[in-house]
Amino acid sequence: MAWSLRGKIAVIGHGETKVDRDKQGNLSIEQYLVKAANLAMESAGLTKKDFNDQGIGLMEPQQVYPMWSAQMIQDLGLHPRIVMRSDHGGAGPGYLLEQAAAAIQAGLVDKVLCIGADAPLTYVPQTMTQRLVLDFIRPFGMMGANSLFALIAQRYIHQYGVTPEQVARIPVTQRYHATLNPLAYFDQPISVQDYLNSRLISDPVRLLDCCLPVNGGLAFIVTTAEKARDLTDRPVYLLGSGACYNYQHGDRLAPDVTYMGTMKAGKEAFQKAGITQVSDVSFLQLYDDYSYAVMIQLEDLGFCKKGEAGRMLEQKDISFAGELPVNTGGGQLSSGQAGMAGGFHFIVEAIRQLRGEGGKRQVKGARVGLVSLIGAITQYAGNLINSNVCILGKEVP
Amino acid sequence: MESVKEPLPVPMMTLLTREFWESAKKGKLVFQHCSKCDLLQAYPKPCCSECGSETLSWKELSGEGTVYSFTIPRQVVDNSPAFKEQLPFVVAVVQLKEGPRLITNIVDVPPEEVKIGMEVRATFEDVSPEIALPKFRPVHPLSKR
Repeated sequence: MAWSLRGKIAVIGHGETKVDRDKQGNLSIEQYLVKAANLAMESAGLTKKDFNDQGIGLMEPQQVYPMWSAQMIQDLGLHPRIVMRSDHGGAGPGYLLEQAAAAIQAGLVDKVLCIGADAPLTYVPQTMTQRLVLDFIRPFGMMGANSLFALIAQRYIHQYGVTPEQVARIPVTQRYHATLNPLAYFDQPISVQDYLNSRLISDPVRLLDCCLPVNGGLAFIVTTAEKARDLTDRPVYLLGSGACYNYQHGDRLAPDVTYMGTMKAGKEAFQKAGITQVSDVSFLQLYDDYSYAVMIQLEDLGFCKKGEAGRMLEQKDISFAGELPVNTGGGQLSSGQAGMAGGFHFIVEAIRQLRGEGGKRQVKGARVGLVSLIGAITQYAGNLINSNVCILGKEVP
Repeated sequence: MESVKEPLPVPMMTLLTREFWESAKKGKLVFQHCSKCDLLQAYPKPCCSECGSETLSWKELSGEGTVYSFTIPRQVVDNSPAFKEQLPFVVAVVQLKEGPRLITNIVDVPPEEVKIGMEVRATFEDVSPEIALPKFRPVHPLSKR
């Protein structure tokens, strides 16, 4: 049964600021936020006034403040009808897109401006207050997400025998894409040898497996398909979406951590989009906090069997010009991770590709794009908590 | 300017976690046990994560398990700078014989000799007058170097 929302919702604008690694804080979170919002409105031919009594979706920055949304709408000078906020980590922008679609479908509003900005290099991480982390994780010398993800990666290697040369295909190809993306932080290519030479951060995770924190802001605008066609000749349609939280694969107490909720979220998204063959997808945007996350998502989404991603990477070209383009904007490994707003990169790049704005890295004949986001590496001795998959299309097939 | 040395992080006892830490100090590994559905769960939670019951008691475990996964941190991130002097060491997920998994350290073995599947047993390391951390050491002695 086709999803009632399939093709009824569209994305009409997008914005991405230049990113930097400025530690002085010349630009604040609020400034990146305003810049991203303005860029998105400009690209959709809309102004602030068009968002009076409409929806705002905000990604929560890493810097803790209990009322971010109130400050942000005040800074922007917006008078919205609904204000949504996400603390879903990397999966947040997918969550906001889905919630925006639901709010529009419910008739609360007909436009939602989703914005995310963060400037993680400009502030000192705040005091951690979560007792689980303070009492049961940090005293054992866990080094944040690097070590938490390394525990997943080590198990993944153990179960499937993936080699560093296979993993290298991800950072190397993504860096190549970054050299073709004027907004990406890195602009120099890297080789497989560079990857193999890069130092270990938390075995088996190497420096070139890790995303790069940057300051920046991104945004996109969601509306009805009907309105989208009035406003632009290049709407991007939401064909399907899926989500899954706190997934555990297999045994309740001892789950297999090489699987993510992406498996379930992906199935739901494909089913809603009415897509039965993965080959109908023109390109993939997969959340890359670490290279290994891309491999796990390729498997969980059905682009190869579990444990086969390494071998598939040896055979298939994942560059924008190849048979399975992945992370055509460079991903967070090479474009940078704008703190908690990092997930926006994948949705914004998917929109650009489907609008034919990919420039030198444009995927030829791009019709359907899949965005898979993951967030919150906080599951105790498990995998990531949040998974979100959305399928976007240039037209409604 | 004199820098204040940050100590290694020491867990704080709360009403929820007191039994866990008091037992660890006595050399016992205890987990919450749900009397309704028989679930045994790692790290103290406010309810049974299977059935939701708040009626939880404590059960002593054998302290025997295997290494499910591990990592060797090479630099300090999101943790106390005091760990810098201890690098490299092994942070691991131990699969306990009774089912649940625990985030811990593997000690008394060179980091490069730790392997997934290695049989390990609990050992308790005093870090303050009140707190001992449950860590694990290999069951079988390794080849002397």
